[in-house]
Amino acid sequence: MTVETAEVRDAPRTRAATMKIRRAQQDPAWLRWSLTGLAAFVVGVLIVIPVLNVFAGALAEGAGVYWKNLVDDPDTLHAVGLTLTVVPIAVTANVIFGVAAAWAIARFSFPGRTFLTALIDLPFSVSPVVAGLMFVLIFGLQGYFGAFLRRDGYAIMPYLVAAVLVLLLAVAYFVFRPSHPRARRGLWKTPPLALAVAGATVFALLVLGQQAFEVWPANKSLKIIFATPGLVLATAFVTFPFVARELIPVMNAVGADEELAALSLGASGWQMFWHVTVPNVKWGLVYGIILCNARAMGEFGAVYVVSGHIAGETDTMPLRIEKLFQEYNMPGSFAVASVLTLLAILTLIVKRKLEDRIPQSEEGRRTGAHP
Amino acid sequence: MSIRIQGVSKNFGSFRALDDVSLDVPSGSLLALLGPSGSGKTTLLRIIAGLEVADRGTVLHHDENITEYEARDRKVGFVFQHYALFRHMTIAENIGYGLRVRGVPKQERQTRVDELLKLIRLDGLGSRYPAQLSGGQRQRVALARALAARPNVLLLDEPFGALDARVRTELRQWLRKLHEEIQVTSVFVTHDQEEAFEVADHVVIMNEGRIEQVGTPVEVFERPANAFVMDFLGNVNVFHGRVERGRAVVSGLTVAYPDYPHPEARDAAVYVRPHELDVERNRTEAGGLAAKILHVNPTGSRTKVELRALDSNQLINVELTPERFAELGLKSGETVHVSPRRVRVFVPDYEI
Repeated sequence: MTVETAEVRDAPRTRAATMKIRRAQQDPAWLRWSLTGLAAFVVGVLIVIPVLNVFAGALAEGAGVYWKNLVDDPDTLHAVGLTLTVVPIAVTANVIFGVAAAWAIARFSFPGRTFLTALIDLPFSVSPVVAGLMFVLIFGLQGYFGAFLRRDGYAIMPYLVAAVLVLLLAVAYFVFRPSHPRARRGLWKTPPLALAVAGATVFALLVLGQQAFEVWPANKSLKIIFATPGLVLATAFVTFPFVARELIPVMNAVGADEELAALSLGASGWQMFWHVTVPNVKWGLVYGIILCNARAMGEFGAVYVVSGHIAGETDTMPLRIEKLFQEYNMPGSFAVASVLTLLAILTLIVKRKLEDRIPQSEEGRRTGAHP
Repeated sequence: MSIRIQGVSKNFGSFRALDDVSLDVPSGSLLALLGPSGSGKTTLLRIIAGLEVADRGTVLHHDENITEYEARDRKVGFVFQHYALFRHMTIAENIGYGLRVRGVPKQERQTRVDELLKLIRLDGLGSRYPAQLSGGQRQRVALARALAARPNVLLLDEPFGALDARVRTELRQWLRKLHEEIQVTSVFVTHDQEEAFEVADHVVIMNEGRIEQVGTPVEVFERPANAFVMDFLGNVNVFHGRVERGRAVVSGLTVAYPDYPHPEARDAAVYVRPHELDVERNRTEAGGLAAKILHVNPTGSRTKVELRALDSNQLINVELTPERFAELGLKSGETVHVSPRRVRVFVPDYEI
């Protein structure tokens, strides 16, 4: 490319001179080949051979044994199922929080904005084992809430459910609230009062309902650590930054003008979000979800600490692989590993396919905003 | 529909963007907010549109107080400097968006979009995407999109700022014509005085969050309210001197200034536009500044002469008609006398 621009700039240049420039700007053949060779060697030794070895190890005793290892072991099957349960929940939670956080950071300036930005990165910098321990310290038997959760854990459920419901109500309230001051009547005029009334009603209904009908069992311990909720919490914590981190630069690059244009054209905040914001950050969001998903499936450290490795109960796929490996069940271990690897390769293929499509929309974005 | 702005102030942190601004925009007028960058003109426009919230003050549309209204309820069309077209929607979808979110049925929408595509002379390009259009075409689409829902007010934020010179001139004339056709109250922001004078029938000159002067282009150019307006609108020579007893005196030059009859002398700045200065070979009885010609630029409709005053070493720019220049036959290095045909004197405010 540099050669071409040089030619364009100084058009009347002889061919010999051009050749000289080309030679001056290119490294000698031996250097090029040895560098390329070194890179290929490193990739081969560190990536290609180990990945192939996983499949070789899994299929060492034939395809029949491989299949049996996967299907006949109930604990392995349960581990696959558990991973496929935990990961979607964690990814969904992170998409919701990630979009909200990215929007807040990219579009608004408020006190503590830089602090929030730094906080989003925290899960990346904290060791997953420490993250797991954190949850054990909070929810574990010896943790702050441990004793209470063990005694009468389900007592928190009315409050938890009520809090989630009130949050949803608040969102719905602002989505459906008429924007024009003259169209607002009654409770539409006073958001704090409306939310206080709605919140109190929901809380009262749930708490009284629990007392009267015992919707959730009383005096029963609610397990978070060494149970699925703990796995979800740990996975979600560790993979939290992916979506927000992908979205913030995209939102900054797109800018707020299109959103403001939508608002001045008469769109509500909700319409603006779905018609303008989401289509504009679509690829960033998809990319974030893919990375988040990949990391969530492979998460080991944090999950290791909170799971307690109860086979058939709290073992996810990575934990199951490790356990089979410790039991010297190499074919079994490699069989599960091969499934996880296949999922990873599948993720990479999806990502690759999407990247092929991004450049053209990216191109449109650049020329679209600043010709 | 008229717009009335009363006592609007806006701070961004410690930066005062607007300082107690009041302004009336008569119904059906085309008004330009003109000022250097950072003068608060875009902020004022965004406050009218509801895209920014004023710290203090009220905005009225035709006597209806809309200060508390959200942008979507103000019925304004807003055109952004960088178009802000929805990049994932076609041109037709872009133009129809305002109607779509207001629940206008599809057929009616289609009719209106076709009508507007014709108005902006882009019929047949409705299925293209913004990225496939040129800058000028995109800006016209942005305008059509803003007009689609028949807004009461049209607001344009530096609408031609991102376009090249030829397209800009073309679009200015087109906007002027369009405004005559549809007669919607329009406000546009610009930092280019030529653009403001060419398009607008009223000009508001802003500086540091305040309005310096409001008037027709002729009014503000011929009778600038203060030194800033004089300085901002085109080239000007500034001479520092003093005023006393109805006269302004600048080194060897005396001009009448009846606005200041007091006997005590005060410092004042005398402003003279280059085309209001004349050059004489000999000193006339009215007096004149002796100056040496540094450079002559005869290209263009006026001959520009750059001189240096002999006593104060100040640079003076003079514009002569080509005929006058030929008559004088001036050359670089000659010493001549410069005298003003018209001056404006600005005395700084009393500060006690």
